[in-house]
This record gives sequence, structure tokens and C-alpha cells, in this order.
Amino acid sequence: MSAPVKLPPEFAALEPFAHWALPTETARNHHRHESSAAEIDAFAEAMLARFDEIVARLNEFPLDAMPEQWRPLYWMLLSLAEVAPAVEFYHGPQVPDGYDTRRFVADESFPLRPRM
Amino acid sequence: MDATENHEAEPAISRMRERYPELGSGPLPVEPYISPAYFELEKRHIFKRVWQHVGREAEIPRPGDFFVADLPASDASLIVIRGRDNVIRALHNVCSHRLNKVVYEPRGSARRLNCKFHGWSYELDGRLVGVPDEKYFADLDRDQCGLTRASADVWQGFIFVNIDPHPSMSLSDFLRPVYAGLEGYPFERMTNCYRWRTVVNCNWKLALDAFQETYHVRYVHGRSIADALRQDEEGSMLPIDCLCGDFHRRLSMAGNPKTVYGNPQAASTVDASTQQAGTQRVGKIAAVALKAGRGATKLSFSAADLPPAINWKKDPDWVFDINVIFPDFYVSTRPNYYQAYNFRPIAYNRTLFDSRVYYPEMKNAGGRFYQEYMKCVLRDVLLEDLGTLEQIQAGCETGPKTHMILQDYELMVRHNAHVVNRLIREGESRRQVA
Repeated sequence: MSAPVKLPPEFAALEPFAHWALPTETARNHHRHESSAAEIDAFAEAMLARFDEIVARLNEFPLDAMPEQWRPLYWMLLSLAEVAPAVEFYHGPQVPDGYDTRRFVADESFPLRPRM
Repeated sequence: MDATENHEAEPAISRMRERYPELGSGPLPVEPYISPAYFELEKRHIFKRVWQHVGREAEIPRPGDFFVADLPASDASLIVIRGRDNVIRALHNVCSHRLNKVVYEPRGSARRLNCKFHGWSYELDGRLVGVPDEKYFADLDRDQCGLTRASADVWQGFIFVNIDPHPSMSLSDFLRPVYAGLEGYPFERMTNCYRWRTVVNCNWKLALDAFQETYHVRYVHGRSIADALRQDEEGSMLPIDCLCGDFHRRLSMAGNPKTVYGNPQAASTVDASTQQAGTQRVGKIAAVALKAGRGATKLSFSAADLPPAINWKKDPDWVFDINVIFPDFYVSTRPNYYQAYNFRPIAYNRTLFDSRVYYPEMKNAGGRFYQEYMKCVLRDVLLEDLGTLEQIQAGCETGPKTHMILQDYELMVRHNAHVVNRLIREGESRRQVA
């Protein structure tokens, strides 16, 4: 395992959730599906409580020049989007009666995909 | 309030079958969904003769950029490549010498196309330009030994190929009778694309059918986005209108403006943070996504900028149009993004679902969060759709039913079956004459 992710000091309180700092949709989606509904809800609540501050700070940087130390927080923000359907629609990680998410493969290297 | 003049003038129900009586109203045979023999006829008379979408011009912006399009129902694998003259061509990925694949990788950039078997070398337009030990070949005529060309053409930035080098119909003649009025939609300005692929164990028509009607929405999407579509007083989610051409078909949809997914202007007009946050219609994460997305897109245009065929009924609650370009290409045109899906046949009971969604570029992290929210919802909604397909194929193949039953607003399912059947019939009668 890699070293624990460090967040910028003002967001250090979110470090217990830094396992959601994952750089790809595939990794974020798989992490959602390996988590329980309670774990997902706790993460969403923690992020929502600081949402305005997080967005305000990240919006200070151009997307294509996001400083290294701010990227994990940015990925956590994208993880909040990843868990949104689980929180708001399905009340759990899975899509009920849905197709296997692992068979629906995101093309992470598609040339028109945004890099950040 | 929902009833437009049009709705009042004629009752919505039964409009469709009256407008297209040639499509009939009886049950639809299951055989074309489960028959290997029928699939062979589709290959011969459709997939080896028609134009098929394979991607966007912007995927291969520089000379030498290419990707490989595998088209199993056309028995073809094509290198789609931009030449030094900037023309996009489609070349069969088969070396003229001993027929090895010329490129192995699914996409890349090349100065020349070099076969790895014996080093034969081709220009970006397919001309043979290099043959090791050429003097040992008897009478080798390089001009006759280029890569075999298929047809390629571009419409609104979409690349189409046709494995017939001399198609019976140009791409423009094929598309414009139904889609000329879509020209000018800002496809090229939606530059953030997300793509997912999967091979589904079902017939290609069955997969496409699941996306060309809205009757299923209340049930399949009951937990997610069902409330995003406008309902009439009986709870039915009828489309605004349907149009059927000789090949293609269109469906126009009305949304529920109180929802994130049913209101294209949600990020700019729904004040979710104060009015609806935490309600059933706008969840807490949706609300912050709307807030973060407000004004964050690099592309802004109003409905007035859209070409005339978009929302052709000019319904105030319009949310998107479904455009099915025959045979297997689905494009949704929405005011702020579009989807592009191919239902690429592999076998009578196997289909590659190649799905893309194109959004505008966002200015900042807040905008990207909004886009990621929209994208993750869409992806999960697609999982809901895909969840039914293999079960239906199994249901078809176990054989208790020889027909399926369609209602008026499943007209597009009927239209596709009708066009496929007509082309097979015409093709077979041509064969018998010849």
C-alpha cells in the first residue's frame, strides 16, 4: 500500500476519507461498489459539510494546472459525484436490477476524455 | 398547462399508427431477434451496404492519426485515418502481401503504415510505398497493391464508413432527408467526451429497441430519473412527437422542469440551493452540483441558437430529441450535451454497446463536479437499461412466445423492424433477379 494521502492542512479533518481520493472513474466506481451504504453516506455527509469551501478553493486553480497537493481533494470531490446515485436513488452502492458495473468499462484513455 | 395547441387539436394516443399505417399495428415476430439465418441476411443486405458511424473527426485531429473500427457484421476491420491532405479515409486492415493485420493497436499516430510481418509499407492514403527485397517478386505492380479502400465520409463531425467502395447512396443522400435540419447543432463544441463499452449477450435490435421508446421509463428508471419526464394527467410519459423516414426515426421528449435531469436549464434557472434542496426531486448532492455548475461551462448558447429540427414541435418543456440513424446509431440532441450510442452487432445474440456522452468543456473544478454528477447518473441509468437486455434475449430464445406486442408509442421499435425487413426483402429479390 502507498503512503496515506495528505490533504492541504485546512482540509486535514477529511483525511479519514482520503481513501476516496482516486484519480479515475473506474477506481472511484469500484471503490463505491466495495463500500457499504453507511460508509458511502458518511463520506457524502463529510464532503457536503465542507462543500462550498472545497469548491471555492479548487476553483482558484485552472483545471489543467491543478497543483499536485490539491489533486487528492479534487478527486474526492469527483468521488462525491460517483456516490451521488448511490445516496440519492439507490440507498446503497448497487444499481438494483442493474447490469454489472464491472462489465460496463470506461475508456479512460479515450482522446476526447478530459484529463482532469 | 402541459397541453400544447397540438395536443388539443388531436388526441395524443393513436396519432402514430394513423400517421404511419404502412407500419401496421399487429404483433412483431421474435424470429429476427434469435435467428442466425436472419442475421446473415442482415449482414449481407444491410451491414455490408450502409453507412455506419465509427467516431468523431476530433479523435484524429492530425495527419497520420488513426483508430481501428471493427465491424463484425460487415466482416471488416478498418483503419480510419487522416491523410496528409487532411482527408479521412477507411482502409481495410489487411496487408496486400500475406494478409496480416497492418496495425495491431486500436488507435495511434503513424507516419506510414508498416506491416510487421515482412515490412511492407503504406502511405497514409493506403498506397504501397515500400517492399523489402522487391526485386525477388515477379512483376509486382505497386499501384495495384495498396490497402483496399472502403468508403468514408463526414457529417457534422461524425465519421461514417461504408465497406462498399461504391455505395448506392452518398452519406449526404442517406442522412439529409431526415437530418438536414440538425445541421448547425454545436456538436463540435461539446468536447468533453466520456465513453463506456460492453458486449451484451443480446441481438442488436433488442438493445437498440430499449432506447427508442419511453414506455419503460416509469418502471426501469423508477428509482432514478423517471420523474424527469413530463407526465400527462394519467401518468403516461408520452413523447411530444415521432417522425419516421425511409431509414431513420426521431422522437421528441418533454421534461419535468422541476428536476435536474428534466430541465436543461437547471444549472442556470432552478434555484435548487434555496427552494428544492433535500426534497425528493432534488437531492442534496444534486443541489450542490447545480450550484457548482452554474455559469461554469465554457459554452453557452440558448435554445434560439439551435437549428430548426431540434424540438421541432417547439414545446416549452422540451428536454431532448432522440435521433436514430439507421441502422444502429443513436444520437440524443439536448440543449447542453448529447449522447452518441452504437449498437454494433457481433453475432445474432451478441452486441457491442459503445456509448459516449459529449459535454462542453468546464471552466473549473465546480463545473467538472456538476459534469461528473450528470455523467455518473447517466452511467447508472444506462446500467438500469442494460439490466433487462440479456434476460429478454433469453426470454426470446426459450421460445414460449413467437411475437411481441407493441403499443402506439413503441412505434420506433416497429419502424426499425420494418426497415430491416424491407431492406432484406429488396436485397433478396435483387439477388434472385441477378
